[in-house]
Amino acid sequence: MWRPHDLAPSYDVVIIGGGVHGLACAYYLAKDHGITNVAVLDKSYIGAGGSGRNTTILRSNYLTPEGVVFYDESLKLYREMAEAFDFNVLFSCRGHLTLAHTDGAVRTMRRRAEVNRLQGVDSRLIGPADIKRLCPALDVSEHPRYPILAALYHPPGSIIRHDAVVWGYAAQADRHGVHIHPHTTVTGIRTANGRVTGVETTRGFIKTGAVLNATAGWATTIADMVGVRLPIVTYPLQACVSEPLKPFLDVIIVSGSLHVYVSQSDRGELVMGAAVDPFASYSLRGSLDFAEGIAGHMLELFPALHHVRMLRQWAGLCDMTPDYSPIMGLTPVEGFFLDVGWGTYGFKAGPISGRCLAELIATGRTPPLIFPFRLARFYERDLVGEKGAASVGH
Amino acid sequence: MTPDAPFDFVFAGRVYRAQPGDTIASALARNGVRVLSRSFKYHRPRGLMCGAGHCPNCLVQVGDEPNVRACMRPVVPEMIVEPQNAWPSLGFDLMAVTGWLERFLPVGFYYKAFIRPRRLWPLFERFLRRAAGLGRVNLTTPPGEYVKQYLHTDVVVIGGGRSGLRAAIAAAGAGADVALFDENPTLGGRLNYSGSATAAAERAALLAQVAALPNLQCYTQATVLGWFEDHWLPVRQGNRLWKVRAKAVIVATGAYEQPLLFSNNDLPGIMLAGAVRRLLHQHGVKPGERAVIVTNHDEGPDVAAELLAAGVTVAALADGRHPTPDAAGLPTIPIFWGHTVVRAEGRAGLRRVQLAPLTVDGRPGAPLQTIPCDLLVIAAGSTPANGLLYQAGARIAYHDETGQFVVEELPPGVFATGRVTGWQADDAAEVGRQAAAFAMGRDGMRTVPARGAHSLPAPCYRPTPGKAFVCLCEDVTAKDIAMAVAEGFNSLELVKRYATVTMGPCQGKMCAVASIRLTAAATGRSPAATGVTTARPPLTPVPLGVLAGQTMEPLRRTPVDAWHRRHGARMMVAGLWQRPEHYGDPPAEVKAVREAVGLIDVSTLGKLRLTGPGVPAFLDRLYTTRLGDLPSGRVRYGLMCNDEGVILDDGVTARLDEQEWYITTTTGNAEAIYEWMQWWAQAGWGEGVHITDVTDDFAAFNLAGPQARAVLQALTTADVGNAAFPYLHVRQLELAGVPCRVLRIGFTGELSYEIHCPAGFGPYLWEAILAAGAGFGIRPFGVEAQRVLRLEKAHLLIGQDTDAMTDPLSAGMAWAVKFDKPDFLGRRSLLRVQAQGLRQRLVGFEVLTPGVTPEEGLQIVQPNGNGRPTIIGWVTSSRYSPTLGKAIGLCWLPAELAAKPGTPFTIHRTEGPVQARVHHGPFYDPTGARLRS
Amino acid sequence: MIVLSCPNCGPRNVAEFRYGGEVHPRPPVPEAVSDEAWIDFIYMRANKAGRRPEWWYHRNGCGLWFLAERDTTTNTILSTYLPGQGERHDA
Repeated sequence: MWRPHDLAPSYDVVIIGGGVHGLACAYYLAKDHGITNVAVLDKSYIGAGGSGRNTTILRSNYLTPEGVVFYDESLKLYREMAEAFDFNVLFSCRGHLTLAHTDGAVRTMRRRAEVNRLQGVDSRLIGPADIKRLCPALDVSEHPRYPILAALYHPPGSIIRHDAVVWGYAAQADRHGVHIHPHTTVTGIRTANGRVTGVETTRGFIKTGAVLNATAGWATTIADMVGVRLPIVTYPLQACVSEPLKPFLDVIIVSGSLHVYVSQSDRGELVMGAAVDPFASYSLRGSLDFAEGIAGHMLELFPALHHVRMLRQWAGLCDMTPDYSPIMGLTPVEGFFLDVGWGTYGFKAGPISGRCLAELIATGRTPPLIFPFRLARFYERDLVGEKGAASVGH
Repeated sequence: MTPDAPFDFVFAGRVYRAQPGDTIASALARNGVRVLSRSFKYHRPRGLMCGAGHCPNCLVQVGDEPNVRACMRPVVPEMIVEPQNAWPSLGFDLMAVTGWLERFLPVGFYYKAFIRPRRLWPLFERFLRRAAGLGRVNLTTPPGEYVKQYLHTDVVVIGGGRSGLRAAIAAAGAGADVALFDENPTLGGRLNYSGSATAAAERAALLAQVAALPNLQCYTQATVLGWFEDHWLPVRQGNRLWKVRAKAVIVATGAYEQPLLFSNNDLPGIMLAGAVRRLLHQHGVKPGERAVIVTNHDEGPDVAAELLAAGVTVAALADGRHPTPDAAGLPTIPIFWGHTVVRAEGRAGLRRVQLAPLTVDGRPGAPLQTIPCDLLVIAAGSTPANGLLYQAGARIAYHDETGQFVVEELPPGVFATGRVTGWQADDAAEVGRQAAAFAMGRDGMRTVPARGAHSLPAPCYRPTPGKAFVCLCEDVTAKDIAMAVAEGFNSLELVKRYATVTMGPCQGKMCAVASIRLTAAATGRSPAATGVTTARPPLTPVPLGVLAGQTMEPLRRTPVDAWHRRHGARMMVAGLWQRPEHYGDPPAEVKAVREAVGLIDVSTLGKLRLTGPGVPAFLDRLYTTRLGDLPSGRVRYGLMCNDEGVILDDGVTARLDEQEWYITTTTGNAEAIYEWMQWWAQAGWGEGVHITDVTDDFAAFNLAGPQARAVLQALTTADVGNAAFPYLHVRQLELAGVPCRVLRIGFTGELSYEIHCPAGFGPYLWEAILAAGAGFGIRPFGVEAQRVLRLEKAHLLIGQDTDAMTDPLSAGMAWAVKFDKPDFLGRRSLLRVQAQGLRQRLVGFEVLTPGVTPEEGLQIVQPNGNGRPTIIGWVTSSRYSPTLGKAIGLCWLPAELAAKPGTPFTIHRTEGPVQARVHHGPFYDPTGARLRS
Repeated sequence: MIVLSCPNCGPRNVAEFRYGGEVHPRPPVPEAVSDEAWIDFIYMRANKAGRRPEWWYHRNGCGLWFLAERDTTTNTILSTYLPGQGERHDA
């Protein structure tokens, strides 16, 4: 799939973080811009971070127009990935339902549906009868503590095999000459006169003029190395799977009020996720509180599933930003680029952010698609409004 | 209840007879049933293998419950058991054709197939999904009953085998409170089924000691699911989840027996020694008629003798070792020294095995012997059951020379003894005493376990050609792992993810060590350098119902809740509360307030009591409005921001007297605002400030409408005339004999009184007010009417018209931001907003298109000439106003558009565009005369 | 579940507490700092992987806001103490 290499003394571009984002950027640098003297470094095996720990949900039904068009481009790249890479990433279009349990949530879902449709994205508000038809397993009666009033239905919502995406990008980047260096930890970044000059690693020094910080969980640690401050707090996000079951859940179900999202994979496992942990941490241990909480909320939605066994739980790290939007682009340090702050939505965006960052690094011009997500927005009073979707009404 | 006589149960549609004490698996074995289910990928027949609840081979469906381990579940009369993953039947499974196609379905097959044409992939996928999964979910399953219980103790011992029991007895003997958990129905571990009289006697002696120790509690069929920080242990016992906090934990979980890797090593009839011995000694079941035993340690000959004693023919013993001096004492059976099994044959069950001599390098040579048999016993090594120790942070090393995992170092408060350590040391009692000492605060810190010889025969993996399954859960073969490495997945984690080995229901218990060894071999690294995968919780799969327990979503009801329900209120969710949305006719409720009088239950409002000399300065720092100079007896609106300049909450502040303030918050933010105030008070601004949350102490009702004063007067002798009790004043009054604080404010736009009374008087006062108002046309009204009434006044709702990024200047509330006050929360940021100007503004609008009330959430658009219109704003609130006879609302617009009243704009609506125009100020009674009247 | 030692109530399960974030002091005179320094205060965080002081609130308990030094890589609580006091309580 990809070959081991010795660390070269210099690279044109060094990408820190061998997840979907970093590998995609390397691939597009090589493919779209002919920049092939590129290294991707990861302190672990490739795909060990969020890329291999997420719940693989793909969607573009965001709240802000800039979010919608950005994620929709990503979804397109995902849809075409298997053919482009000649590697079946098991893209599975299942349809995505975000449940509304309060009148405030209904209002937000309608707002999202309207914004989505105006950007050409298929999204609509549907009622309990339609919800039941799409997902017979759900309890749509008035009995639950939080009855289901409506749902935002997003037919293009999909799941995919996350590891295959990582391997697909890695294999393609490798074919174009990119060097992938797993188990290589960055210990420092050298600068001179406000410019990046090289990267220190556990395997030696690399001379380079361009470094992309494409890490999650460690974004502030890396940025600290060049003195760039970030508005990021790292929280664990936990997920779990059930034992394999005969498929009965065709759609992806999300409930904001109950903090649960669930889909059933092509292997028959229920893949379930929750909100980020109640306190910031870098620990990947996970908690019993998570397991108890998600089980309770799952049974609120699907009371018949109480015999279903949880097989495995795990945690990933999420870099939360003040406006629930990522940070991409330039920094005050020349040659130091950001692709960070991906919160709980990084996997969905890997292909398009990789492509846009590659364009920025290659041309020096910020593509309009990612301009709203620049670091400078915090200083320019120009935050992205995705957080609005998370504000809970009365 | 355990039956005491033989009884019937059903498997795969046939009735079988079980004996008391049987598990599903032992009962089926007793009846000669060997195939229990079909495998995950190739639909191969599978039967009892480990007998210990570790492997996936006996997963069955019991009624509505999928994936039940037949070897662990006691069978009960009339139980309906079904095989899994077999279609149409267990004996004839059409999907087993995937097995014949095995050479076309190698590891990672899916990633390389069905790529083109893309439009056909969904069809293939439908086929794949039909084949996926194991057990079935019945969507009509009635809810289960589950409980949770906490347990706090000094010492927890995990594992009730010989080591665990001895450690527990010693810890309890040292005076500690001890809880011991074991996943099996009976204590004693292997002593239960080793078949020797000495073992039985030892078990009896240990149990007698246990019984004599009142501070030692043993829990059986109790599985510890994981280890979390500070010794927090979830334990599943039936439908109960114990949540255990221990001061010290002793792990004595023993070891997992490991299978061997040879062709068709998954055939029913191939069992690990433990399963065979359990059948023989715990259930009195003959596991087969003609057995072959393959071994690499002394348990093999022991099992041979026990099988012979049970009347089983032992056809051969293949021992990987070379003859030992005491070989003379072995039973008279054909022994093949230096041999192993290389192939098993049979269709729905084992028929014969092939033996081969081991070559000098330890690999199997060419098969020499084919031996007919229906039972193959594997006694070929074990691996420590050390998942809990990994989770607890123990340092565990793999010794390449011996092929075994050993504990090197333990974190404080964690102890281990017995086979789980990988070391042989007769130290259980000593470990028990040390754990007790640690738990009781004396020394006893022990971080390095006692060492000795290795406690376990190392598992012995010598993969042979053919379908040798490493991972029985996912049908991954030894060849698959080699292929995965060859394709470039050259680390253990990548192999795991690519081949899905260790990711099935056995959680790696059967396959983790083998996959490490095979990956090491394929990558040319040592197993120690290959590493281990993470032992994630739960270590044993656990039903969601057990984790969830009784679901207890909190629900809050106001003191008047019962009255509302009796009077036909439609209730709605409001945060944790339920509130009346309406009583059947919202427009009539609006009309009553506008023309007569209405009464709404606002008990859900947050209510805070502040006292002390520091309150005025404190309030001026926390609120953007000016509250510090509020005189006694007065009420004022308050708006609160954070330092980002974002609106947090609003409410009113009443100064009851010189020393006491009474503050309301919005329903949803009550708790958050209390915590926020506490933070600022406790972090440095709270000198002379005391804050109490009195939300639950008071019921609150808003009496609103032109007749409100008349109703109020009817309830009190005090003068409530406009002069005596003017707008924005607070009075402490006795209403119908109830002491109340009455705030004259006007969210609805009418003369109105917010009446707060002790919660216990709420139902009485509510009815008293309604009775007093009967002659004035009083009517209870709900949230829906209130929304219309406040919208007619263009009052915004925090959280509906604003979001987590809204500043008060953009929200049109510059009047509520007193920049001439010194520093307050948000001031610095809002000065920037003021200096830089607004981008968006919240303004009122009225709809021009007749007959349309735009839904909340609709977008405001501008054509831009290239198809899709540009979004420039959105509708946050919208209602038809029965008072005004038109649709009105609030919306966000670009500041320049919002600046001028009357500016027209277009709301995008699927049914057709809606025209509207900007409106400034209240729609109803713009001068506020009615409030003051 | 980690155990946190409330300076008032002693060791309790972390579920009783609300997390208040890393300590980052507010400029005493906000008007005296530059726009950039103010934005840094509002949004930028050290987010340190390792030992750091943080705010915690004993929500289902005595209602105390206090400080804890925690290692964010392991969740080990090193000490808890009251604001303005160096006095530490062993966690």
